[in-house]
Amino acid sequence: SPAGGASLRPCSTRVTLEGINKPVIDRIIRVDHAGEYGANRIYAGQMAVLGRSSVGPVIQQMWNQEKDHLKKFNELMVAYRVRPTVLLPFWNVAGFVLGAGSALLGKKGAMACTVAVEESISDHYNSQIRTLMEEDPEKYKELLQIIKQFRDDEREHHDIGLEHDAEAAPAYSVLKTAIQLGCKAAIFLSERI
Amino acid sequence: VIRCQLSPPQRPLQASAVLRRASDEQKKEPLASSSQQQFDSHPTDHQPEQEPQGPRPSYTGQGGQESEDYESEEQLQHRILTAALEFVPEHGWTAEAIAEGAKTLGLSVAAAGMFHSDGSELILHFVSQCNTKLSDLLEQEQKLVQLGEAEKKPTDQFLRDAVEARLRMLIPYIEKWPQALSILLLPHNIPSSLNLLTSMIDDIWHYAGDQSTDFNWYTRRAVLTGIYNTTELVMMQDSSPDFEDTWRFLENRVADAMNMGNTANQVQSTGEAVVQGLMGAAVTIRNLAGLNQRR
Repeated sequence: SPAGGASLRPCSTRVTLEGINKPVIDRIIRVDHAGEYGANRIYAGQMAVLGRSSVGPVIQQMWNQEKDHLKKFNELMVAYRVRPTVLLPFWNVAGFVLGAGSALLGKKGAMACTVAVEESISDHYNSQIRTLMEEDPEKYKELLQIIKQFRDDEREHHDIGLEHDAEAAPAYSVLKTAIQLGCKAAIFLSERI
Repeated sequence: VIRCQLSPPQRPLQASAVLRRASDEQKKEPLASSSQQQFDSHPTDHQPEQEPQGPRPSYTGQGGQESEDYESEEQLQHRILTAALEFVPEHGWTAEAIAEGAKTLGLSVAAAGMFHSDGSELILHFVSQCNTKLSDLLEQEQKLVQLGEAEKKPTDQFLRDAVEARLRMLIPYIEKWPQALSILLLPHNIPSSLNLLTSMIDDIWHYAGDQSTDFNWYTRRAVLTGIYNTTELVMMQDSSPDFEDTWRFLENRVADAMNMGNTANQVQSTGEAVVQGLMGAAVTIRNLAGLNQRR
């Protein structure tokens, strides 16, 4: 069987790559893919600790949505022929550690982490939407639609986190600031490498 | 023959001006007239008010350039370099070959002055041309498969055929290729040559059907780059009929790469089995020591 196993399939889905601003689209898709991948790992970490608690089902549901997001970005990555970030193995571990670590602070800690991350992500999606609208709303209609939908989903996660007493978590503001700083760094790096 | 009498262009392209003057001395009808027309109309690009009134004359120059209104410097350079390739087996990747190429287009040998003296642009142009040919070839093959007119090849054969097709493009220039390789490794050429190499490898994987979006993306490309580079080096030393030793080497390397994937999977499965074994042992010990109490 071919090196790497299951992910070789006949070369099918291809959007026309003519006329698009490749560097901009490359960055957008690469960083979004990395973000959804990281979010998946964060929820996996949280489930590992809190899976059997009362917030388990809530986290599981948010995790399922992130899985769908990641699947979509996998497709976009192949269609636009974008290179994934080299840091994926690192986000794999770091995401899991962040999720598990915040969950060890308790259910509210986990929710605080969710609020921080989802707020970062939705701000980031918003700025991408602005960029694409400035470039050419018509040309990037499909991509814009997807990002808008995902931004709404992330905002929903953010609100769910708040509903579940994220703000009552220990050292909430410190935690939130630290996590959001980490997210900014992750976004900066994933766009470039 | 209508020729635009233009005053010296306000923003002269040094090269074009030199060539125009020099080619006045070396007339070769009809090639000269077509290239003249291009140079004359090129500055027109910058001075539209000097465009001649009345119907534009049509020239059937080399390659049927009658429909082009002007030729950019880049296009001109491409034409010169393409023409120069014919002289590489004799002169190597040098300014001499470029000069000879320029001569066949009816231009002055001074045209070679547009380029680096070490032949870098000629080599990069050649590599880029080969990569484009390879992409077109793979694109056509893909179309045939999609139309159902051809069988989809298994991955190892696809990779072998693609690398072989690409390396075969070197055969006419094989004597001078080692020289080209060393020039491509010069520091000022490395960004471009690396770029060309990586995009070619990415193309091959793309048409092979690679859809990986994890670290495999990098592993696969690294492996294929290694295969390509080593096979290229083997080819330089190969004196067997039709390079059959090289293709056999290629086949073995691709087979190794496929096995690597299997081996990696096996190692992972073994690792997982070992971990499970250890976990089982730990639980057993806990039970035996009476520590396994429900909380």
